[in-house]
Amino acid sequence: MPSLLTGKVAIAHLLRRAGFGPHAATWNGWAKLDYDTAVDRVLADLDTPLAKDPEPFDLWNPGTIQSLWIDRMVKAPIGAAEKLAFFWHGHFATSESKIIDIQLMWTQYKMLRTKGAGSFRDLVLAISKDVAMIRWLDGNSNRSGHANENYGRELQELFTLGIGNYTEKDIREVARAFTGWGSRSHDFVFKKHFHDTGTKTIHGKTGNFGGEEVVDLLVSLPACSRFIAGKLLRFYSHPDPSKDEVEALAKVMRDSKLDTKTTLGALWRSESFRARSRHRALVKSPIEFSVGACRALGTSAVPGWLQGSTDRMGQTLFRPPSVKGWTSGKGWLSSGSVVERLKAAQRLASHTAKARAASPPRQPLADLLDVALQGVMPKELSEVLGGLSGAARDAVVLGGPEFQLG
Amino acid sequence: MFLNRRDFLGGAVAVGSVLALPRLALGDDTASSKQARAKPKRTLVMLHLNGGNDGLNTVIPYKNPRYRVLRPSLAIAPNQVRKVSKDLGFHPGLQGFEALFKRERLAVINGVGYPQPSYSHFRSTEVWFTAQPEKTPTYGWLGRALDATETNAPLRAVALQKEQPLSFASARPGAVTMTDFGRFRVPSGMEKASKLYERYGKLTGQRADVGKAGTQALKVARKIASLKPAGGQFYGGLGNDLRKVLALLKADLGLEAIQLQMGGYDTHSNQAASHQRLLSQLGNNLNQFQAELDKAGLGESVVTVVMSEFGRRAKENLSGGTDHGSAGPVFVLGKGVKPGFHGAYPSLDDLDRDNFKYTTDFRRLYASLLSGAFRMDPTPILGAHKPLELFA
Repeated sequence: MPSLLTGKVAIAHLLRRAGFGPHAATWNGWAKLDYDTAVDRVLADLDTPLAKDPEPFDLWNPGTIQSLWIDRMVKAPIGAAEKLAFFWHGHFATSESKIIDIQLMWTQYKMLRTKGAGSFRDLVLAISKDVAMIRWLDGNSNRSGHANENYGRELQELFTLGIGNYTEKDIREVARAFTGWGSRSHDFVFKKHFHDTGTKTIHGKTGNFGGEEVVDLLVSLPACSRFIAGKLLRFYSHPDPSKDEVEALAKVMRDSKLDTKTTLGALWRSESFRARSRHRALVKSPIEFSVGACRALGTSAVPGWLQGSTDRMGQTLFRPPSVKGWTSGKGWLSSGSVVERLKAAQRLASHTAKARAASPPRQPLADLLDVALQGVMPKELSEVLGGLSGAARDAVVLGGPEFQLG
Repeated sequence: MFLNRRDFLGGAVAVGSVLALPRLALGDDTASSKQARAKPKRTLVMLHLNGGNDGLNTVIPYKNPRYRVLRPSLAIAPNQVRKVSKDLGFHPGLQGFEALFKRERLAVINGVGYPQPSYSHFRSTEVWFTAQPEKTPTYGWLGRALDATETNAPLRAVALQKEQPLSFASARPGAVTMTDFGRFRVPSGMEKASKLYERYGKLTGQRADVGKAGTQALKVARKIASLKPAGGQFYGGLGNDLRKVLALLKADLGLEAIQLQMGGYDTHSNQAASHQRLLSQLGNNLNQFQAELDKAGLGESVVTVVMSEFGRRAKENLSGGTDHGSAGPVFVLGKGVKPGFHGAYPSLDDLDRDNFKYTTDFRRLYASLLSGAFRMDPTPILGAHKPLELFA
C-alpha cells in the first residue's frame, strides 16, 4: 500500500485537483475535516445549480464570458462543478475564434456545466446537438451524398475512442449517420431531407443508424471508457497513469452506466490519487494557477486584467488552440509564461492587499501560507519567506515554484 | 482590409514557448512519431505580406503581351521593370530585391499556391499557416514541426506580433508572441521568487523539474529583456520589426522560427502608388536585413521566407486595383540558398476565372524548409510533397 497523504495536506490536495484549490475564506473549516467527508462534500458540489446569467449581459465581447467564468471559478465555494466544466471544455474543445457568436459559446458552457457530472452518453448526445459544436465541426455541411467527415472523425478520435480505435471507414459511416444534424439560428434542427437513410456499417455493426444510435454504439465500446478514464486520470491525478489504473477506473465507469460523478468519486477516493507520490505531481495550467492564486489570497473582486494575463501565460477560456484542446505539463513553463506568472502573482497580491485595507473582509481569512502550502515546503522556500511579510511575501509564495505545482 | 484578432487567429492562442523536457508526459496523441534531430541548421524567419500581394506586378513577365491586356492601367512599362532574366523582372520599387538577386542571396519561386484556392483572407491564411487545406485546422505547420522534435529549449519560436499566428499553434503551448522585449522583464520585487526556481532545480522529483524548467525559462527571458533592437538602415514598421529580429538572432537564443507580418497588401483600389511604397519598403529593408546577417556571420544560419495568403486577380478591376486571387511568388533569402528562379511562371492565357493556376504547391516549399532548414523529415508533418531544391 502506498504511503498516503493525510490531514489537511490531503484535503488541500483534493481541493486543488477536484477544484481550483482551497479558498482563504473557508480553508480553516476544511482543514479539520476527515478525508472521506471532504470527498462527500466535493462530490455534492458537482450538483451545484448553475448561477443565473447576469443582467445586463454583454454577449458581443468574448471578454465578458471569459472573465465571468474566471469569476465563477474564483468565487465558487468548492469549484468542483466549474473544474469539471473546464475539463469538458478542454475535451470537447470549441473556440470562439470560429464560432464568433458568443451566445453560442456561453450556451455550450452552460450545457457542459449542468450535464458534466451525469451520464457520459447523455453528454456526448448533448454535445452532438450543441449549436457551437455543429458550427465548429461543420455539421451544417454534412449532407446525404456530400458527407462532411469533420464531426465523424473528431467524435471518435478526440471525444470518445482515441486515435487507433476506429477505421477510416468508421469515420465515413459515422459522418453519414449524422447527416442532417444541423442548426438554424441558435437551435439544433434535424434536417430530414439531408439525412442519409441508407444502411451503415460502424464498428462491425450494420443498420440504418442515425446520430443517436451512433452515440450509443460508440460510448458502449470498451475503448471509450478507457479513453475517458485515462483522460480523467491525467487531468485529476497524475500525468502517467498505468494501464491497470486506467482499466480499473474504466470498469467503474462502465459499471455505473458511464456516470461521471460515480467515476470521479472512485478516482478521488482511490489510494493512488492520495499517494504521496501524487502530491504536487501536476503543473498548473494558467487558468488553474490564476484562479488558485485568487482563491488562496481570498481576492474578493477579480481584477479585469487577469483574463488578459492568462492569455499571455498561454491559455484563454473559450479559445482552445484547436479541437484537440490544451495539453498539460511542463510545457506551460516557458519563458514568456513564467515571467507572466511572476507578474500576475505580484499584481494579485498587491491588488488584494489594497482592497483588504480599503474594506476589511467580514469574515477572517486564513493565512495565505497555510491556504497555499499547508506548511509543506522545502527549507529553500521557508528561508526565503522568513525575511518577507505582507503582500511581498504573498507574491513570492504565489510566483514561486511550489505554487506552480497542482 | 484589416484582419482583426478574431478573424486572423482561427483558433490559435497564446504565449508560452514550446518546451519539451525528456519524458515530458504529453496528453493524448502528440507523443507519437517524435523525430530526433541535430540543432536546426537555420532559423526560419517567416514574413507574411498580409492582405494578398499582387504577384503579377511583383515579378513581372514584361515581354508577355497578355500582361498589358490584363493590366491596361496597372502594367509597369518595360523600361521601368528591373529586369533580372530574359523574360522576368521586378517591380521598380524592388531595388532591394534586385540587389539581393544580383548578390545571389535571393530565390524566387513562381506560381506558388494550392488546389481549389480560397479567395477569403481568413481561410487562405488558415490554409497557408496549417498546410492542411483539406481539413478544419488543428495545429499550424510550424507548430506540428516543433511538436515533432524533442528539445530542452525554453523558447523555440517567436511571433513579433500581438497575437500568435496560427502557423505556430501546437499541442504544447505555442510560441511566444511579443511586440517588445520589455515583456520578458522579471518584475522588480520578484527576484527572490525567480531565484527560488534555481534552488528548486537542485531538489528532487517534480520540484526539481519545475525548478529547472523555470530557471531555463527565466534565463532566456532575462537575456531577451536586456536586448535592444539592432541598428542599421531600416525603414517603417517592417524595419522596426526586422531590427528586433536581428537582435534576437544575434543573441543566439537557439530560436527555431520567427514570424512577422507586414500589412497593407489588400490593394483593391489605387494600387499603383501604394504597391510602389510597400514593395520599396519591403525590398530595401530585406536587403539591409540580409546584409546585416551576412556581416554578423549569420547568412547561412538563417533563411527568410516572404509569402502572402494569395496573389491577386490577373485582370485588374475598374478602381485601379486588383481583387483577391490565387497563386503568387514566394521569396526565399539567405546565403547558400540556391539563387534565381524556381518553378514555372503561371500561364497568363490559361486562367481559371481570371485567376492564375498554381504551378508549385506551397507544401513543396515547406517540405524544403523542414528538410533544409530544420533537418527533419517533412513527410509526417506535411504528407508526401517533394521538396524544392532550395538548399545546396
